[in-house]
Amino acid sequence: MENLPSPAIELDKLFKRVELEMRGIDPAVLLSYSWFCVAAASHLGIEVTKNWALRKAEKERHTLLRCVHIYKKHKVQYEIRTYFRFIHLQRLTGSTCDTYLEYIERNLPEGCALKVTKVECVKMPDYITTSGKDI
Amino acid sequence: MSLIIKHCRSNGITSSFNLRIWRLNSTSMDVAAKKGEEEEEFRVLDILKKRDKVQKKVARRNDVQPDRADRMAVDQNWGNVWPGPKTFHPSSVPLPIRQGYVPKGQAPPGKKANAELMKIPNFLHLTPPVVKAQCEAIKQYCTEWPKLLNSEEAIEKHYPVEVITSDYCHASPSIRNPLARIVTLRVKLATLNLDKHARDKFLRLVGDRYDEKTDLVTITADRCPARKQNLDYVDYLLTACYHESLNVEEWEKDKTEDDMEYYDWDKNASKKSLVQWYLRMKNENVDLKDEQFIEYDISQIPNAESYKNAVSSLMNDGENESTVNNYAKEVRALLGLPEKLVV
Repeated sequence: MENLPSPAIELDKLFKRVELEMRGIDPAVLLSYSWFCVAAASHLGIEVTKNWALRKAEKERHTLLRCVHIYKKHKVQYEIRTYFRFIHLQRLTGSTCDTYLEYIERNLPEGCALKVTKVECVKMPDYITTSGKDI
Repeated sequence: MSLIIKHCRSNGITSSFNLRIWRLNSTSMDVAAKKGEEEEEFRVLDILKKRDKVQKKVARRNDVQPDRADRMAVDQNWGNVWPGPKTFHPSSVPLPIRQGYVPKGQAPPGKKANAELMKIPNFLHLTPPVVKAQCEAIKQYCTEWPKLLNSEEAIEKHYPVEVITSDYCHASPSIRNPLARIVTLRVKLATLNLDKHARDKFLRLVGDRYDEKTDLVTITADRCPARKQNLDYVDYLLTACYHESLNVEEWEKDKTEDDMEYYDWDKNASKKSLVQWYLRMKNENVDLKDEQFIEYDISQIPNAESYKNAVSSLMNDGENESTVNNYAKEVRALLGLPEKLVV
């Protein structure tokens, strides 16, 4: 029982780039939220490389014929607008990334969605670097 | 015994209850009788409606507190007043906010009883000092980026593999998003250190997942339901392709000129005709076999090396102005023709 192998040290992950994509129905709320994200990143010492918004909203349109039978001119069009905003962060360790994302996601305002794309950099596995020649 | 007691008690209660009902009935009947006597007077027609004009005095309470927003200290800690996300409340916010759409020339309505202000999510709990204080508190869980990995080249050298995943956070009935399972693995082909044969085989195995311009191999897995499974699968794919490309199978020796992925001048008809032409120039009638043609040393033929390069680049890089012009120049040099005249 005493000779149990010591648990392997779990190394922290390294994220080369983290891309936040936020979408919402109100551009003003997204702007405030992105300001908050950038402020939190700067306080935690995270590099922000890019921060931009799409110039126009993405519009999903549905056309409906109001009249039941004929009269094509009585058409109405409904649209759903989705506004986008993007923030790119650079060079985060795993613990920093977890802390920051937890903080940001907890403060996500109503009517907004957040997509986080993480680009993790990993070492080449041993079985590719060394054992290739043996086989 | 207890049963009997219970029975007796229930009997007693019901009897008293009945009594009460009886009394209630009697009293209500009495009241109705009295009312009937009062209402028997005729109503008076009030033509001038003098009675309605008399305004009732509204009793105002004297002990109503003044608005909380007016009593706030200037140097208060705002984080304590508004600690978390909350719908807008006019009495808690000491700001002269106005919001709403009105016709031109009018001022938008003020903050009290203003639905426009309550609809939009506010950031009153995330003011700059509060954000700073909260970040100071959570900074202990952060770690610094290693200082030696200070450039893209350094990162690429030590950590050549990229694993791309996505997390989703949104307001919906389910907190799970099926898109979160997708895992993408990217690696530069040069970092795999493959030899010529293995590289060719790897590219044939990988197919269109290789991008020539960036030299990146991108493997995406989305067939498993969980991210961990997809991650393992991506690792497996890379490993399998790598080791398979290192293997040399028996049938790979049957590779002919048609299967070549690039133009090898030494094994092609161009070299054969060049050597034949050179030998005929020297009046040597030697019958060479195919292997001898391939092994023939062209360094003794003047301008042959650059001619070889010109033909190879024409075949490998495709026909464009520079390769064709280069080919023309080399052919003239090889045959000893004069340079092209520029008119």
